[in-house]
Amino acid sequence: MLRFFGFRLLRAAITIVMVVSFAFVVLRLSGDPAQIIMGADAPPEAIAAFRRAWGLEEPLWLQYFHYFGAILSGDLGRSMRDGRDAIALVVERIPATLALTVPALLIKLGLGIPAGITAALHRNSFIDRAVMMLAVAGFTVPSFVLGLLLVLVFAVQLGWLPSGGQESWRHAILPIVTMGVGGAAVLARFTRSAMLEVLGQPYIRTASAKGVPWRAVVWGHALPNAAIPTVTIIGFMVGSLIAGAVVVESVFSWPGVGRLLVVAVANRDLAVVQCILLLVAATMVTANLVVDLLYGALDPRLRQRTA
Amino acid sequence: MTGTPLLEATGLTRRYAMRRGLFGRPVEVRAVDGVSLSLEQGRTLGLVGESGCGKSTTGRLVLGLERPDAGSVAFEGRPMPGPGTPAWRALRARMQMVFQDPLGALDRRMTIGAQVAEPLEIHGIGDRDGRVARLLGDVGLRPDQAGRYPHELSGGQRQRAVLARALATDPAVLVCDEPISALDVSIQAQVMNLLVELQARLGTAILFVSHDLRAVRQVSHRVAVMYLGRIVEEGEPDAVLHDPAHPYAQALVSAIPHPGRRQRRILLQGDPPNPADRPSGCAFHPRCPAAVALCAREDPVLKPRPGDGRHVACHVAQGDAPAPSDGRSAARRGGPDRPAEAMRAA
Amino acid sequence: MSGIALPVGLISEGKRRRRWPVLVVFAIAWLSLMLGIALLADVIAPYAYTALDLRNRLAPPGATMLHPLGTDELGRDVLSRLIFSIRMSLLIAFGATIIGALIGTSLGVLAAHFRGLVEQVVLALVDFSASLPFLILALAVLAFFGNSLTLFICLLGLHAWERYARIARGLVISAGAQGYAAAVRQLGASPWRVYGRHVLPNIASTLIVSMTLAFPEIILLESGLSFLGLGVQPPETSLGSMVGYGREYLTRAPWILLSPAAVIVLTTFSVSVLGDWLRDRLDPTLS
Ligand SMILES: Nc1ncnc2c1ncn2[C@@H]1O[C@H](COP(=O)(O)OP(=O)(O)OP(=O)(O)O)[C@@H](O)[C@H]1O
Ligand code: SF4
Ligand SMILES: [Mg+2]
Repeated sequence: MLRFFGFRLLRAAITIVMVVSFAFVVLRLSGDPAQIIMGADAPPEAIAAFRRAWGLEEPLWLQYFHYFGAILSGDLGRSMRDGRDAIALVVERIPATLALTVPALLIKLGLGIPAGITAALHRNSFIDRAVMMLAVAGFTVPSFVLGLLLVLVFAVQLGWLPSGGQESWRHAILPIVTMGVGGAAVLARFTRSAMLEVLGQPYIRTASAKGVPWRAVVWGHALPNAAIPTVTIIGFMVGSLIAGAVVVESVFSWPGVGRLLVVAVANRDLAVVQCILLLVAATMVTANLVVDLLYGALDPRLRQRTA
Repeated sequence: MTGTPLLEATGLTRRYAMRRGLFGRPVEVRAVDGVSLSLEQGRTLGLVGESGCGKSTTGRLVLGLERPDAGSVAFEGRPMPGPGTPAWRALRARMQMVFQDPLGALDRRMTIGAQVAEPLEIHGIGDRDGRVARLLGDVGLRPDQAGRYPHELSGGQRQRAVLARALATDPAVLVCDEPISALDVSIQAQVMNLLVELQARLGTAILFVSHDLRAVRQVSHRVAVMYLGRIVEEGEPDAVLHDPAHPYAQALVSAIPHPGRRQRRILLQGDPPNPADRPSGCAFHPRCPAAVALCAREDPVLKPRPGDGRHVACHVAQGDAPAPSDGRSAARRGGPDRPAEAMRAA
Repeated sequence: MSGIALPVGLISEGKRRRRWPVLVVFAIAWLSLMLGIALLADVIAPYAYTALDLRNRLAPPGATMLHPLGTDELGRDVLSRLIFSIRMSLLIAFGATIIGALIGTSLGVLAAHFRGLVEQVVLALVDFSASLPFLILALAVLAFFGNSLTLFICLLGLHAWERYARIARGLVISAGAQGYAAAVRQLGASPWRVYGRHVLPNIASTLIVSMTLAFPEIILLESGLSFLGLGVQPPETSLGSMVGYGREYLTRAPWILLSPAAVIVLTTFSVSVLGDWLRDRLDPTLS
């Protein structure tokens, strides 16, 4: 078990190092930050001062080391636009994003998994077809289209709900629904096929042939086994709690991390972008790690395969 | 058996690293452990042994498809080039492998004709159409079957196609890795007859791997019995398969049903061998009905036995240790009882 | 993100008797229409996509015979813009899908061929891609490098590369382990021949099916990024940027965004249906 943990941790650490290196390389490749920030027509003295302040005159490998050191000590630079600490800027947006993504995740789980299981257990029934139709729609309708349609209906036509902003809980309803419905559809599809796969396995058929009650077969054998692949996608959803709302936040002008990211990208505010990138990678890697460890607990075969 | 051997393998050893379970560190599996053998023109060496004893690995090593961890292979007196090198690739025209699973060995998206022609293309041999037609004829396939896809042929026909492809470049050495075990009995006989016939005509040296002792007997000029990565007995097929000297070979032979002879089947006790955990001394001793104290301590070497000169690796058969008192046939030398006819008929 | 495929049951089950399920026929017809429009955009578009008609601004569909789908704030013809947007979005999606398939397959084959260190590096890269939602990665690259059409296509091409890499690696390893590839190798064939003539043709159907699964995802990514104003830049136009632009006029002129939105939905739907159907027919092993 220790070996497995060690292996997983190592992989996670390598991934984080790769993300950081990626950020560094891309940052340097993207041109002279001094030029970018100060503008091409800035006076040379100002540029030189900037370069000195940001350590841009050192050799590249030294910059890389400093970069790593800075990140390890939690110093992710300052927003190149308003000079504030990038990390503070990002962190203060997190609650707003979580206010959308956590309820949306609950909707996804609460709707998607039961719908998928029901569909699988009643294969080809009306319920199955309805669930799958919705799942298809959930995938093919992009969230910005769904969001705008909801705005069009509930805000513009009916006037029941506000179309954007963050003044009250009512403002959160449409974004949460937008995200939750789409995600629930994907999860339902996924759960359904995982269930169907398990239900087709010989041991399930054997169990039910031996006279084990169907209910016990489903709860005792099928669900735990179908949970294994489903956990992956849930892990992915948990991993994207922090930045999973980029598009939806933009549609509804919700001041979360995603909105911040889009604005930062548009303004090429590199420190902020990089900070969000690292934060997202860290959450994602952590979520993947937890999922993998859960797997290890759920399915001993996987430990073998990866070790 | 005259002249220098065409292919000579000495001390071949191949280890694989295997991890047992989650906690285990990698353990070394010696799939093949010091195997020496030689192949001569126009002759067949049969290689028998239970599943997992290293027959296929030996076959791959002999052809140079894998690099041995120790030991060497010499073909026509020259060392085998490393796998994948241009010299190695060129040498493939001289040595070929016939695989156990003919469907898997064929590309299901190409016609039989194109696949038989492929070695000719690879080695730049001309007159492809003529040769392909001749090869198909040789293995008993109709010319129109050249346009078929593998799944459109029967198992026996596919195995013939694989054989035709292996023979396309007139190889001097052919390794047949259980070429018949996937086929049903009537087709097995056809394929084996074909091998014998082709060998008589082309003078190919064959290494015939199988766990079907009767098949081995039918085609081989010599037989080697393998146990846990080593050859434990080697000799003429009539001798080895009717009057085996090594207790393991005796157990193998006794497992063939013989109409016309009273069955006395030697059942092996103990677990099947685990190559990762080789017993001390003679690897066979935990299961050996004839084992004596010496067996657990000392590793018997493969050497000609006094008397008839049979190559065998066993203390008791060599007479280095007394046979246990129950009078099992372990140490019997050159027994006369050989129901050869009965066995052929079986 | 795992492959997004439609449920098999929706398309084929219960319709086994018919060779061409209705949905598949619809999908093929719709995609042919889209392809035709993309190829013939210059010929069939009534106006240039930048042409202004200041007298007919924000005209609703059908209000004037001149603009069947209406006009936007600047009086640009929605139909013409839609036609050129279809061309742009399809160009990007095709380009990116092909790039992704090429990169992913090559890396997967390399990993399987060399094993050892090369394989570990490829697997680490796969881990890396799996550690970031692609949208975030794409946004970061766009922030760092700015935007141009070529860069944008290449960037989207990185989407799903790891899926091809994983599939190709697995298939090549299993082909090489026992089967035909090992057999051809020991005939003396060069690696080029083994991969080019045997392995790739054998795994092509699986890869093509994966491409039909990635294609709609790329359309969605493209439109999402363009919707955010970070993808296709004006004066060029794509389906997503039309929606993004039309959003400003959601209350006054919803038609500006409804037609591109419908095209996005129908196109992704059709490709998914087609991909799923192909998967059923060509490659039952791909789940
Ligand atoms: N590529 C490999 N990696 C790890 N272990 C291997 C590999 N190839 C063979 N082995 C191990 O080496 C031993 C011998 O295998 P080999 O295939 O040579 O046996 P065999 O005698 O041909 O058996 P069979 O009659 O079942 O074909 C087995 O224990 C097997 O597990
Ligand atoms: S050496 Fe001993 S244990 Fe080994 S085969 Fe001979 S009698 Fe049996
Ligand atoms: Mg074998």
